[in-house]
Amino acid sequence: MKITQKAEIIPGTVGEGLAQRGVTRREFLQYCSTLAALLALPPAMAGAMAEAISKARRQSVIWLSFQECTGCTESITRSHSPTLENLIFDLISLDYHHTLQAASGEAAEQARMQAMKDNDGKYLLIVDGSIPLGNPGYSCIAGISNLDMLVETAKGAAAIVAVGTCAAFGGLPMADPNPTGAVSVGDIIKDKPIINVPGCPPIPVVMTGVLAHFLTFGGLPEMDALGRPKSFYGETIHDRCYRRPFYDQGKFAQSFDDEAARKGWCLFKLGCKGPVTYNACATTKWNDGTSFPIQSGHGCIGCSEPNFWDAGSFYQALSMPVTATPSMLAGAAAVGAAAGVAITWHNRSTKAAAKAVHEKVTVQDLTREVK
Amino acid sequence: MSATLAKGINSFKEVIDAPIASFFSSCVHCGLCAEACLFYTETGDAEYTPIHKLEPLRRVWQQEYTLLGKLGKMLGLSKPVTDAELAAWEPLVYDSCTLCGRCAMVCPVGNDMTYMIRKMREGMAASGHAPEDLVGATMRSITIGSPMGIKWPAVLAQIKHVQAETGITVPVDSPGAEYLVLMSSMEIINFPEYLSALSRIFKQAGVTWTLAQDAFEATNSGIQIGASDLAREIVSRIVVAAERLQVKCVISPECGHAFTALRWEGPNLMGRPFGFEVKHILEVLDELHAAGKIKTKGQDARPLTYHDPCQIARRGGVVEQPRRLLNAVAVDFREMPDAGVMNWCCGGGGGVSANSRAEPLRLEVFKHKKAQIEAVEVQTLITACANCRIVMEEGLEHYHMKVEVVGLTELVAQYLVEDKTT
Repeated sequence: MKITQKAEIIPGTVGEGLAQRGVTRREFLQYCSTLAALLALPPAMAGAMAEAISKARRQSVIWLSFQECTGCTESITRSHSPTLENLIFDLISLDYHHTLQAASGEAAEQARMQAMKDNDGKYLLIVDGSIPLGNPGYSCIAGISNLDMLVETAKGAAAIVAVGTCAAFGGLPMADPNPTGAVSVGDIIKDKPIINVPGCPPIPVVMTGVLAHFLTFGGLPEMDALGRPKSFYGETIHDRCYRRPFYDQGKFAQSFDDEAARKGWCLFKLGCKGPVTYNACATTKWNDGTSFPIQSGHGCIGCSEPNFWDAGSFYQALSMPVTATPSMLAGAAAVGAAAGVAITWHNRSTKAAAKAVHEKVTVQDLTREVK
Repeated sequence: MSATLAKGINSFKEVIDAPIASFFSSCVHCGLCAEACLFYTETGDAEYTPIHKLEPLRRVWQQEYTLLGKLGKMLGLSKPVTDAELAAWEPLVYDSCTLCGRCAMVCPVGNDMTYMIRKMREGMAASGHAPEDLVGATMRSITIGSPMGIKWPAVLAQIKHVQAETGITVPVDSPGAEYLVLMSSMEIINFPEYLSALSRIFKQAGVTWTLAQDAFEATNSGIQIGASDLAREIVSRIVVAAERLQVKCVISPECGHAFTALRWEGPNLMGRPFGFEVKHILEVLDELHAAGKIKTKGQDARPLTYHDPCQIARRGGVVEQPRRLLNAVAVDFREMPDAGVMNWCCGGGGGVSANSRAEPLRLEVFKHKKAQIEAVEVQTLITACANCRIVMEEGLEHYHMKVEVVGLTELVAQYLVEDKTT
């Protein structure tokens, strides 16, 4: 049953773009159902979403890239064409993106200024990469420092999406010793709604899901304490991991090539950070739902959490101390023992003093003197 | 001399030992102990959470024995424990804790709240915050010799009565006997069946036994009120008599805390091991029965159940013995839900039954025992503690339940095979 319902097509809208591309309404509804499910919205929302998105003006989007590796862009554009993720990408008006735009030099900057002027207060700003607060020369574009460009562009944005762990939490550039003085978007911009979509890189559908939510409802989805959309970052990798039953039974791989690893047992002892990492990898998976790191035999490295580069070795179990060396441990034990002896001595003298002043209790001592 | 706050606080400092320090520092505030406490489950009042009843003691521990607490105290960040606070805690420590120990069984880190309440009462008593009735009972124990004010002539009257009834001579102050028999005031006043049953059982078993004129009372108010100096004096009467008469074993009667006082606390109070064994009467009966020294004939046809007294089963470890005895003399013995070490308290242990102020609360929490009895649909309730017995009789009366309470020793004696010729 193929219904190609002729919906009302309004010029300049997403709906028009879809029609031009020969996307049927049914196909689009299917896509919206998938998105609604991913965003944990009720199924009935799919129709409303399709309605809202198809009537929406193509959303002006400005994408700024700072101290980054382009992995986030790679992720969002990595298409198994034609995926629907790509499709919705066509539905927005990507007015500025260093890597993807054809224009260069002054023409490129001109495009950004034009988009900011035409859509003042309405455009969506996407940022990947962290911002150096040290020497502005560490990272600049067309002679403009990252900090200046961010502050200038954020001014007229409706909302900001910090894509990738660098933009959301500082990421690799901020890792110890943080030579560039890198900070996250949220450290600089305080007066705009910001949603963090961390991950190194984030899952493509998580990025497009957030965009679709913005197009449908004109606002940002419900977020957790770290500003991440709850629908994707609501649960840990560990809680949704298909290897979780092995963890519960205490069945662990001890090395990457032992019998237990071949049997697919839990990778906790090999350093898996799944228990402390909130992301949708275990359910949404990567590469069109093919697999995710744990399924491929490697523990989660916790890339969507703040400071994950400095959280100890990727191969050290979560239960191990992060920074202590054997000599530090020995020293701490010695200090602890000495402190213990001192405290014990003091406590004993307190107790001995209490004993010394104890007067034998007689029955007359059970009541108070009436004054 | 009289009770003062300073004495109470000093006593808190004195009783805090390594177990208490580790209990307080390992509490994870999970609240599981509340669910195990009769007073919480029946009232839903979070004040009755067992660990909360210890709050003043915990504060003294923190202020005197922890580094941060000492600093806080020096800087005036933590307030000292006050008289008003101890007065507010008095009903929690004495009226709503029967020292039943059920909370200690469920604590995931193994904290023994009962041990701590027992120790905390030392400070409560020393600061004059013990219930009036318990003070009175302790006073009578020390000055008269028994918490209910009973003197030897009352025992003598009962002996005469028992001798007339059974035709068996009750030995008094007989040196070299195997067993020294003790009684609780409650048995002397309310349950003369106990002494009569014992006379017949021991005669049949052919064992020697005796009562002691200067140590017939097994109960120990010093333990209940929390005054170790007085508890020591009371327990020493028994120890002195037992050693004077050179008995092999002292039998703790059908009483809960008397067993705890003599068996577990006794040697610690005296600071030395005893020259005799201490056994609960059920242990002795089970041994005699297993050795074939006493035999039973016939079985009770009534459906009946057994209430485990907390100090005897949970705190005392006497769990299997009553069941072996009951199965020998009863056809239809039914276990209540949670029977054995997790049994629910009658609501009157640990001095609560001696404290008239606690009576309304005690009757309120008896609902749990009521539900347990109703679950097995019996009209006969067996137990092995005279205090549980009287508390349950009052509870059953209050809730208009037609259930008879019987002591296990008595029940065994009822089916005893007696050779009348010897």
